[in-house]
Amino acid sequence: MKLLTHNVLTSKCIRGVTVGYPLLIKATNVKVSEVEFKPDFVAKVLPKIEWDVLANAAESLGHWQNLPKELPNNYENDTDFLKKIHRVLLEVEVIQGELICPESGRKFPITNGIANMLLNEDEV
Amino acid sequence: MSQIPTPFYCLKDFPNVYEPSEDTHLFLDALEKEQQYIVNKQPLFICEIGSGSGILITALATMLKGHCCCFATDVNPEACKVTKLTAKMNQSIVESVEMNLTNMFRCKFDLIIFNPPYVVTDSDEIGGRGLNRAYAGGMSGREIIDKFLNTLPTILSNSGACYLLLLKENNIDEIKELLQEYGYKNELVIQRKIPGEHLFVYKFFK
Ligand SMILES: C[S@@+](CC[C@H](N)C(=O)[O-])C[C@H]1O[C@@H](n2cnc3c(N)ncnc32)[C@H](O)[C@@H]1O
Repeated sequence: MKLLTHNVLTSKCIRGVTVGYPLLIKATNVKVSEVEFKPDFVAKVLPKIEWDVLANAAESLGHWQNLPKELPNNYENDTDFLKKIHRVLLEVEVIQGELICPESGRKFPITNGIANMLLNEDEV
Repeated sequence: MSQIPTPFYCLKDFPNVYEPSEDTHLFLDALEKEQQYIVNKQPLFICEIGSGSGILITALATMLKGHCCCFATDVNPEACKVTKLTAKMNQSIVESVEMNLTNMFRCKFDLIIFNPPYVVTDSDEIGGRGLNRAYAGGMSGREIIDKFLNTLPTILSNSGACYLLLLKENNIDEIKELLQEYGYKNELVIQRKIPGEHLFVYKFFK
C-alpha cells in the first residue's frame, strides 16, 4: 500500500463512524522501490492530495525528507520538490502492518502490500 | 490508434481467481475502441471494481503510460494478489485493495470500469470471497450491479466516465433509465453474442 492510497482511504462507512479519516498507519515492514519519475504527472496529482495527511503519514514512517509542512506555491517547476513528493506518494510502500480507524479503533491488516478493507455485514 | 495488447498474466497459483473469458475480452475490445476518448480525457484517478486477474486495469495503465493513479478492488483476496502481480508483470503499477465495490475510498474517480458478477442466480449464491463471487449476480443478475449503480454519483467525478459490462437478462433499459434519473447519458460501446450470452459494454457519462 502506497501513501497515495492511504491518502484516499476512509473508514467512514463503518456504522457509527462520522469521518474515519485519516486512518492511522502501523507498519512493521516498509519498502521503497523505484518508480519512474514523471514530474508533470506528480504536479497534476498534488492538488488532489490531502497534504497534511500525506505529511503525517510519511513522517510516521520516517520518510518525510524534511519537506515543508505546508504545500508551497509554484511547485510545478521545482523538480527537486516534485521528486521528493514522488518518492513519498509512489515509492514508499507499506508491505506489512495495519490501518486503524481513528474513531472505532477497527484494524485493517496490510499483507504483502495489500490492505484488507472488507467489513462484516454487521459493521456497516 | 494502435491495438492494445492483452496483458500477460499467470493464474497458476490462484485457482480461485476468474480466468479472463469472453466477457473480459469483450471489455478489452471496448477499451480499445475507446482508446482515443480515454487518452484525450487524461483521467487521473482510475478504478477497476472486481479486477480478478487484473488484466483490464493493467491494460488501462499501459494505455495511459502510467500517467494515472490506478486502483483496483476485489472481494476475493487472491484476485487482489494476482492483480498486483499482473500489473508488475506488465511494468505497470496498480494499487490493489480488498474492498466491497469502492466503499472505503473517499476520492472520486475520473474513470471507473466494472465487469460485474452478472449471471442470474439465487440470491444466496452471493456469499464468501471465492470464485462464485465472479459470476453470482442474484436476481436478474442485478444484485451487485444495483448496489454499484446506487453509488455511482458519489464516486464518479463530474467529467468522469464509467464502463460497465451487462448481460441482456440484466434488463438494460431499466439500468439506462435509472442512470438517466441520476443525470447520466449512455452509449453502447460494443456488443457480442456468445453461446448462451448476449453481452454489452456501455459507457455512462454526464
Ligand atoms: C466477472 S469477474 C471479472 C474479473 C475481471 N475483471 C475480468 O474481467 O476478467 C467479477 C469480479 O468481481 C469481483 N466482485 C464481485 N463482487 C464484488 C464486490 N461487491 N466488490 C468488489 N469486487 C467484487 C469478483 O470477485 C470477480 O473477481
